[in-house]
Amino acid sequence: MVVAPKRRVLPVLAWVVLLFLLLPCILVVPVSLTDTDYLAMPEQGLSLRWWHTLFASPEWMVALGQSLGIGLAATAIAVSAGTLCAIGCWRARNRWSALVRALILVPMIVPTVVYALGLFRVYAKVGLLDSFTGVILAHAALALPYPVLTVGAALTNFDPRLEQAARNLGASGWQVLRLVTLPNLKAGILSGAIFAFVVSWDELVVVLFIAGRRVHTLPRQIWSGIRENLDPTIAAVATLLIAVTLLALIPVLRGSRTAPKEA
Amino acid sequence: MSERQPEALLLDGVSKAYGKTWVVDRVSLTIPGGSFFSLLGPSGSGKTTLLMMIAGFVTPDGGSVRLGGRDLTPVPAEKRNFGMVFQGYALFPNMTVGENVAFSLRVRGLGRAERDARARAALDTVHLGGFEDRFPKQLSGGQQQRVALARALVFEPAVLLLDEPLSALDKKLREGLQAELREVQRRIGKTFVCVTHDQDEALSMSDRIAIVRGGRIAQEGEPDDLFENPASHFVADFLGESNFLAGDLTPAAEPGLLRWHAGATGLVQAGQPSQAGPALMALRPSKIAIASGEPCGMPNRLPGIVTGSSYRGTAIHCRVDTPAGPMSVSLPSWRAPFNPEPDQRVWLSWAPDAAVIVTDDRA
Repeated sequence: MVVAPKRRVLPVLAWVVLLFLLLPCILVVPVSLTDTDYLAMPEQGLSLRWWHTLFASPEWMVALGQSLGIGLAATAIAVSAGTLCAIGCWRARNRWSALVRALILVPMIVPTVVYALGLFRVYAKVGLLDSFTGVILAHAALALPYPVLTVGAALTNFDPRLEQAARNLGASGWQVLRLVTLPNLKAGILSGAIFAFVVSWDELVVVLFIAGRRVHTLPRQIWSGIRENLDPTIAAVATLLIAVTLLALIPVLRGSRTAPKEA
Repeated sequence: MSERQPEALLLDGVSKAYGKTWVVDRVSLTIPGGSFFSLLGPSGSGKTTLLMMIAGFVTPDGGSVRLGGRDLTPVPAEKRNFGMVFQGYALFPNMTVGENVAFSLRVRGLGRAERDARARAALDTVHLGGFEDRFPKQLSGGQQQRVALARALVFEPAVLLLDEPLSALDKKLREGLQAELREVQRRIGKTFVCVTHDQDEALSMSDRIAIVRGGRIAQEGEPDDLFENPASHFVADFLGESNFLAGDLTPAAEPGLLRWHAGATGLVQAGQPSQAGPALMALRPSKIAIASGEPCGMPNRLPGIVTGSSYRGTAIHCRVDTPAGPMSVSLPSWRAPFNPEPDQRVWLSWAPDAAVIVTDDRA
């Protein structure tokens, strides 16, 4: 019976860690259904009042729309550029491609505050402050490492002879890419896209630096909401953010279970 | 299919270096139109690089590749119209068998009806009719090989290139598919260029074989000629098995023959380097007779002691120590006239035309 306590300790520890990770997220769900006038757990019963406030409020709806639009646009740019970059590096397989791959990861490594400060100075010069183009480009740059990494991983299982075979059969460079290379990297491209979207969807720091009157993404709206009028609508928004993120991640979670068999 | 005789494929002084190593070193070859031609060599000999230069995937550093009178060297792979069966087949996993076979027709802009009809016909010729809607993953290795063949032939290429086409299959299946490949080649009459490291495959399928070694052609010719008359130690050793006798040659009284001295003496037919002097002879183990008594009337006979034997189904291989060195002898196992025992005293004998004088290119 000496091993028994040890055996019980590990699962307990695992559950504690899991709860520590999940609890702050889960907590906002009941708070969003509160019947009180302030951020607190429901007292007498559940209420959809704050959800009504959220969907009735033009500010929140505009912020939701902006976040979705910016997220989708930034994802499209990051995935196109990242996929092509990964394929290019994979085809070249030399010192330069290794350098390019390392440079692409810079937005991931540099602290976001530093990155945002740099962006602010540059954007001020070129007149991109408080513009959708500016935010989309900044988010695309922040998201770029993810598709490069996921497509790069998919390429390690991709037989270069498939491209040779396609060319041998008479396909042009574009046909090789469209009919053979990209379809076989589908899983990597999809998970890269999801990560890229999530990066933009909950990005705050850069937006705080470069956005002004026009750009109000959801995280920025929450930020100013917390400082101005702290009502439980914030909890409803947070729940929505979590739900969208989880929905986006479902394909990745399913993919990670089946991918090794497919390769 | 075109009625005219397929054009010959010419390699003219083709070279390729990776870093400072010449993987292919000034190779010139004429591959006759409509022939089954094999590039045979050990791994790392440069045979695959040669094939990749013919296919257009590797640009030669020197020399040219020509088809008939046309210089193909500057033509990119996708414009050469050469079919290719890749090692491991390289079937597109995201497409069905039918889509794989029809790929070349699709990128050439043919309509769906014609594409499907031609893909189906090509699959029929490799006995895979009805497999159009399966995915490559659902097929066995032999079936995948046939899909790769159908895919490479459906657009009626000028030349078909095969890179170790059967190496991924087990022995029994390989033999069946060797015969099938050969049969397809005869039927359509196209030029097939096949890279292989398997000498049985090359011998059984080819009209001509070029033996590749260290980026150069060691010897080129018809299979039986290469097997019976190897020019060098390397070829005699690589193609089948050989005993080698190193010694001296002196003129003999008999016309067309030379006398050899290598710990013993005997007669050998004069070969290309027929002058007297130091020489190397190659002798196939299957061309040596073994007996317990001294044979009469044979100009080449050696006494020896059996050091070991192994049973290999159709043949028995024995090792015999002789004054000329250790020799390997192979005798048919069925109703063998002789059953070797270790330490047994025996006599080996062979005819003068059984041995071949070869150049000594041992590294």
